[in-house]
Amino acid sequence: MLPSLFDSTNIPILQEVASFTEARHNVLAGNVANVDTPGYRLRDLSPETFQQRLREVLTERTMARQSPSPGWAHAEPGDPLRHARDSMRSITFLDGSDVGIEQQVTEITKNQFMHNLAISIMGSQFRLLQTAISERV
Amino acid sequence: MLKALDISTSGLVAQRVRLDAISGNLANMSSLRNERGEIKPYQERFVVFQPDEDVQTRDGAQGVKVSAVRTETVEPKYRYDPKHPLAIKQGKWKGYVAYPNIDMVTEFVDALVATRAYEANLGVMEVTKDLSNQSLRIIA
Repeated sequence: MLPSLFDSTNIPILQEVASFTEARHNVLAGNVANVDTPGYRLRDLSPETFQQRLREVLTERTMARQSPSPGWAHAEPGDPLRHARDSMRSITFLDGSDVGIEQQVTEITKNQFMHNLAISIMGSQFRLLQTAISERV
Repeated sequence: MLKALDISTSGLVAQRVRLDAISGNLANMSSLRNERGEIKPYQERFVVFQPDEDVQTRDGAQGVKVSAVRTETVEPKYRYDPKHPLAIKQGKWKGYVAYPNIDMVTEFVDALVATRAYEANLGVMEVTKDLSNQSLRIIA
């Protein structure tokens, strides 16, 4: 029951966004830690790839919703959001040793904003659900 | 909105390169030989900036990048010191030593300007972050 309750909201998607930004934060923190390491190559997770995958998954999900049989959407094996999660494991190595700490801190700031965005929207979604459950305004 | 952060970052990097060049100029104020060991006083380095088309918004706001680090060619400063091992042996400047023509005060002022410019870029980044957070408050 709970999965279907959350499926009607954006919470599963926001959860993916939050775990992506968390994974990316770890990678970027590693870059900052190795700012003076000789021969270190910058690592990053591509937010573009992640968002592209997420978009594909969402399109599939919308198509599944429009299927004539209500059970059809649940017939597919596994979690459809797993494709989006795959982009978290593909760490890209960037060349260019002249990239400094400023860029990394900026990327961390942007990543933090994306994380805050996801968490804030998730919070308001939960508040909406709670309002519905408590039957009070 | 987040592209503004990239533009400010390009400013930070450019100003840091400029500060590096100024530090190098100050550190080499008394360098009488060049990097190959030849007797030639150090020449001042200047960092030249240009707009960066790779960091650009759709509205045409551009970031900055270092286009070149130029080496100045100016007459050295001659100081009379005939006992110095690198003193000029013959000619008009016999007995003089050629020192780099670097004005410490100018370099200090340039370093201050670069630092203030760096801080200004940081300030803009703070404003950008504040704006994004304000927008976030609309939906959550």
